[in-house]
Amino acid sequence: MSDLHWMTAAAAARAIATRELSPVDLMSALLARIERLDPKLNAFIRLDGEAAMAAARTAEAEVAAGRLRGPLHGVPVGIKDIIDVAGLPTTCHSKILQDSLAASDAVCVAKLRGAGAIVLGKLSTHEFAIGGPSFDLPWPPARTPWNTDHHPGGSSSGSGSGVAAGLFPMALGSDTGGSVRNPASCCGIVGLKPTYGLVSRRGVFPLSFTLDHVGPMTRTVADNALMLEVIAGHDPGDPGSAATPRHRYAAGLDRDVRGLRVGFVQHFHQVDMPADPEVTAALEHVARTLQLEGAEIRDIHLPTLGEFAAVNRVILQSEAWAIHGPWLRERPGDYGQLARRRLMAGAFFSAGDFVQAQRRRLEMIAAVEEALRDVDVLLCASSMDPACRIDSPPDIERTYPRQARTPFNVTGHPALAMMAGVSAGGLPLAVQFVGRNFAEATLFQVARAWERAAGTDKKHPAIV
Amino acid sequence: MDRQTMDKSTVELLARRAGLDKALADHPEDVAAAAAQAAVARRIKAPADPRAEPWPPMRAGDGL
Repeated sequence: MSDLHWMTAAAAARAIATRELSPVDLMSALLARIERLDPKLNAFIRLDGEAAMAAARTAEAEVAAGRLRGPLHGVPVGIKDIIDVAGLPTTCHSKILQDSLAASDAVCVAKLRGAGAIVLGKLSTHEFAIGGPSFDLPWPPARTPWNTDHHPGGSSSGSGSGVAAGLFPMALGSDTGGSVRNPASCCGIVGLKPTYGLVSRRGVFPLSFTLDHVGPMTRTVADNALMLEVIAGHDPGDPGSAATPRHRYAAGLDRDVRGLRVGFVQHFHQVDMPADPEVTAALEHVARTLQLEGAEIRDIHLPTLGEFAAVNRVILQSEAWAIHGPWLRERPGDYGQLARRRLMAGAFFSAGDFVQAQRRRLEMIAAVEEALRDVDVLLCASSMDPACRIDSPPDIERTYPRQARTPFNVTGHPALAMMAGVSAGGLPLAVQFVGRNFAEATLFQVARAWERAAGTDKKHPAIV
Repeated sequence: MDRQTMDKSTVELLARRAGLDKALADHPEDVAAAAAQAAVARRIKAPADPRAEPWPPMRAGDGL
């Protein structure tokens, strides 16, 4: 088999199960690619190659003995380094925790291993999932394989970069203000922030208890659905976990979208934060394509992006201050500058600010619920611009807040970002789909219809 | 208080009250930048109904 690095997780799992593909051969190909490309991409903080190869040999022996652990048997996965993997440090890309060894796997990691996946290592993030891209940390920031002069989005930056570059077919990310969907947008892959409470956060270093989500990052919609099937489920050890029935998210992927009602939130990118013309054109193309596929497109209005962002920031930074206050008091110099500035902001909000944000949040949840009574799915922008250069702090500061992802951390609704096209400059453009709570299957159905029509799953960066 | 125009002495007072003396000494420009971000709270519209509850609501339960 050629091009093992572009093989999807689902295809690899099928080929391993039928003994057409050796998990050892797959792992060897990916480790060789990582060795060649990661010095340019910095996707990894810590590659656990020997353990991964040993696990691949075990997986091969198990297949030979007729034993499959689950639907991801022998498939490599990368883990954002705020998520615990037993025996490895969870550094959060920070000097503060660089020697912090995890005693056990996070629940989401344990579920992946239970399904047969093999952990390749720990991936770059913005410091504590908030401060980046930064050059004043113990490890360099990840870069996008589409153009290594540009940033890959964050905070799950190594996850996005590595999946897009073919270093591994799937990765775990976390999303508090868009941190799965931003790298998915910048790197041209599929990133899902599931419904709040669908995936356990136990064993994941918190940024904001109210807004944190763990989500799958993959090159295809089908892989995303497969990964979600594995990691979703109630966890009584996570106070935010929801008790929901098990879903077969991949089951309805190939249903068409005839009769589905899609609400297009155009004021986000036309009025609230006017988008780059290429982004606007790409979003309109997605809407037209879904209409041609049989969906009905309706215009939808929600509260403004500015107010969603304000509610997100007050809650996020207040809760993050509660977590980081002790370190910021004692060791402020051990943070990078971006994280230090963003995390200290919480010291300047009042208790009233926090409660007011939580009260307004309820109204925002009601507004999105109301919109989703009239339509099945929302379509809107993710990033308003293609990724800017990683070495230009003014461009980073200007473009990072120009996004429409925070609304759905505030409301908890599931939201998926994926490629909408490629800019004239050769960088991915993105679209976001948003669904009703726990209706990820409908999100995947619409996302797959777009992917099938546009062939976004076949578009890879030219990096060799 | 209008935090968009929070003056230096107010920033210092709030930072010391929060225990950020070391940050004030070593990274004063970062403390000022952090304080400036708090102005974002002014963009949140207060609910018109004074009885509006926050989310999540308080719930009686068995906990974990």
